[in-house]
Amino acid sequence: MNRSLRIVTLFMASAIVMAACSSGGATTAPSAAAGESAAASTVASEAPASAAAGGGSITVTSLWGGSEQEAFQKVLDGFKTATGITATYQAQRTDYATVLQSKITGGNPPDVAIMPGLGFLRQFARSGGIKKVSDLGIDPASLEANYPPGILDTGKVDGDLYGIMVKFNSKSTVWYRPDVFTKDSVSIPKTWDEFKAALDKLQAAGEKTPLGLGAKDSWTLTDWFEEVYLRSAGADAYKKLFSPDGDWTDPSVSAAIKSMQEVLNDKYVVGGIKGALGTTFTDGIAEAFSASPKAAVYFEGGFVGGIATGQTNTALKPGETIDWFDFPTFASGAGTGAAEIGGDEIAALTTNPGVKEFIQYMTTADAGTIWAGTGAIISPVKAVAASTYPTDLAKKEAAQVAGATAVVYDGSDTLPAASPDMGAMLQNAIQGQDLAGLLSTFNDGVKAAWAGEK
Amino acid sequence: MTATPSLIGSKAPAPKVPRGALTERTRLVVVAIFLLPAAILLAVFMVYPVLYTIRLSFDRGLGGNFTRIVGLDNYSSLFKDPTFIQAIVNNLLWIVFYTGFVIGLGLVIAVVAMRVRYETIIKAIVFLPMAIAATALAVIWEFVYQPGADIGLLNAILGIFHGPAPSWLGDSGLVNAALIAVGVWGSVGFATVILSAALKGIPTEVLEAARTDGANEFQIFYRIIVPMVSLPISVLAVTLTVNVIKLFDIPYVMTHGGPGTASRVIAFQMYIQGFQSGQFGQAAAVAVVMLIIMIPIMAFNIRRFRTSSVV
Repeated sequence: MNRSLRIVTLFMASAIVMAACSSGGATTAPSAAAGESAAASTVASEAPASAAAGGGSITVTSLWGGSEQEAFQKVLDGFKTATGITATYQAQRTDYATVLQSKITGGNPPDVAIMPGLGFLRQFARSGGIKKVSDLGIDPASLEANYPPGILDTGKVDGDLYGIMVKFNSKSTVWYRPDVFTKDSVSIPKTWDEFKAALDKLQAAGEKTPLGLGAKDSWTLTDWFEEVYLRSAGADAYKKLFSPDGDWTDPSVSAAIKSMQEVLNDKYVVGGIKGALGTTFTDGIAEAFSASPKAAVYFEGGFVGGIATGQTNTALKPGETIDWFDFPTFASGAGTGAAEIGGDEIAALTTNPGVKEFIQYMTTADAGTIWAGTGAIISPVKAVAASTYPTDLAKKEAAQVAGATAVVYDGSDTLPAASPDMGAMLQNAIQGQDLAGLLSTFNDGVKAAWAGEK
Repeated sequence: MTATPSLIGSKAPAPKVPRGALTERTRLVVVAIFLLPAAILLAVFMVYPVLYTIRLSFDRGLGGNFTRIVGLDNYSSLFKDPTFIQAIVNNLLWIVFYTGFVIGLGLVIAVVAMRVRYETIIKAIVFLPMAIAATALAVIWEFVYQPGADIGLLNAILGIFHGPAPSWLGDSGLVNAALIAVGVWGSVGFATVILSAALKGIPTEVLEAARTDGANEFQIFYRIIVPMVSLPISVLAVTLTVNVIKLFDIPYVMTHGGPGTASRVIAFQMYIQGFQSGQFGQAAAVAVVMLIIMIPIMAFNIRRFRTSSVV
């Protein structure tokens, strides 16, 4: 064997050793989490040292960055002015629950966490990671008057209040191009049949693919399903479906998915279903609201307005080139007037000094007004005046939820974290896979996940 | 992991140290001292995590903690899960097509490049994607594959020829092929460089003798070149297969396993079970399955090294 071949062999030997090492790394997910907790604890231990000069300090963690983080920082500044306590924000943008869990396990949790999704809240409440609101010395009953009915219920786990909703967005908003609707003399559809007729009319008027869809991000499909289900089966059936008693093999579920498919199909959707499955949420917004739009309608929550006008196309004019209407109602009339929201809950992880004050501050109109004034969020606090919202789109959104006959919480965020992926199931469904089979498998998985939470 | 120590170890019995200078016992102590640092590192970073993972795979493992022993439940639910089966099938697709194309193209490029003057330039160009981080590679190709021709380079090119404009990442039937192509693009340079060096090692006398005997170039390729680089090829195949079994980044960045569950692979399934669902017991079971798949491949590889000192 000659020399260069030997060198090659040696090189490849080392390559394989490295491959083996990294495969070892891949098999040890838990130890990676432990490493992150070590990193996290150094961050946490730095924060108080830098802020010790003021009247105490606490750390608050959530998953916002960019403009959302800047908006929240204004609230923290307001808290500092009101109480003299410094609240330091720690962003945790990915693997939120896992990192938070490892911080708790490592004995160095942040003082306060703002969590997306009720599945996480339940998980942490049951594992003892977060404190009851009453443990902080705050009487939950005293907060009831600050909120519309039902809002505080979202933060209850097994009857005790753990989390308080601090911000939300409506998910019952269908975004559209008023200019295109006017040009094609299409009026705003109120019912599902009118909605389908409007799509037909847009198509006849030359909008080849009137409906934008960014289904590569599968949560856009969970929101579609939730809206259709809420409007067709009603708020009570909706709440039941996303509870441990939910039955995903119920005919109402497959009926709702079939209704979705009446509009989410190759006829109306930009690029067809396959194209939509290769399109992200933000690219879907661009389909309807970019400078050269391909669609006239895009359904997603209230946050579309900020992204469309702030990032996609700054030339958009609310009311002229971008606006939204209520998600259409169904013939059953069961869910007419109801609104679905997705929101974040604040919860305490420690009882350190300042935590009680911060939680209390977040329930006040002051905090809500500062935050709502940035246009980033809708505040659930009743005393936040409608005039606080900087844009008409946000004012309308706040009014929609305030005037709703029933408010339900984002269903996919309510399911246990261990549930099978609802978005992936719906991606399979709109591709035309066997619906009964998909729902039956999904039902088994969700049931097992609910049982596993106990 | 034992490959390196055994290589070194095999040279050890021919020392120049005078015999009898060390007693058998002190020699053992010396050996132990020299092995200790490596042994500690191995124990901390390999043995302990593997044992921890195996133990976790028999536990419910909520949030990564040992919460309740569930026996083989994690494993049985794994193999009842159609998504996991699909992930295994996808990994098999990767093993066959990714490994096959990387080695095939690598060999062809290496052989062809050897015959031209600007060999180094060609090899440098083919090797360049190796320098791109897999995540960046995936992001780049995500743009290339965009369905709309205004961003999607591939569909823009197809548009010039009035071809169809498929949704590469949104079509369940295309997505795996599209992802494997990205993997091949990123790895073919590695194979080219390795095989090119191996080709240089073939004695010219052999090739000349074959030509004198009247062999044509295709016969030389199949009867002489390929057999003479069979060791590097087999080692490459093992390396690439190991890479595929722990493949995660490309599907994670480009499709997140979608559409639906069409492009999920085993390692991605582990990530979902652990970090998205918080079921670390299930995730550990996936990891153990990966480990079990990996063992015979590594064993084959190590044996190959030991027996192939004479080619």
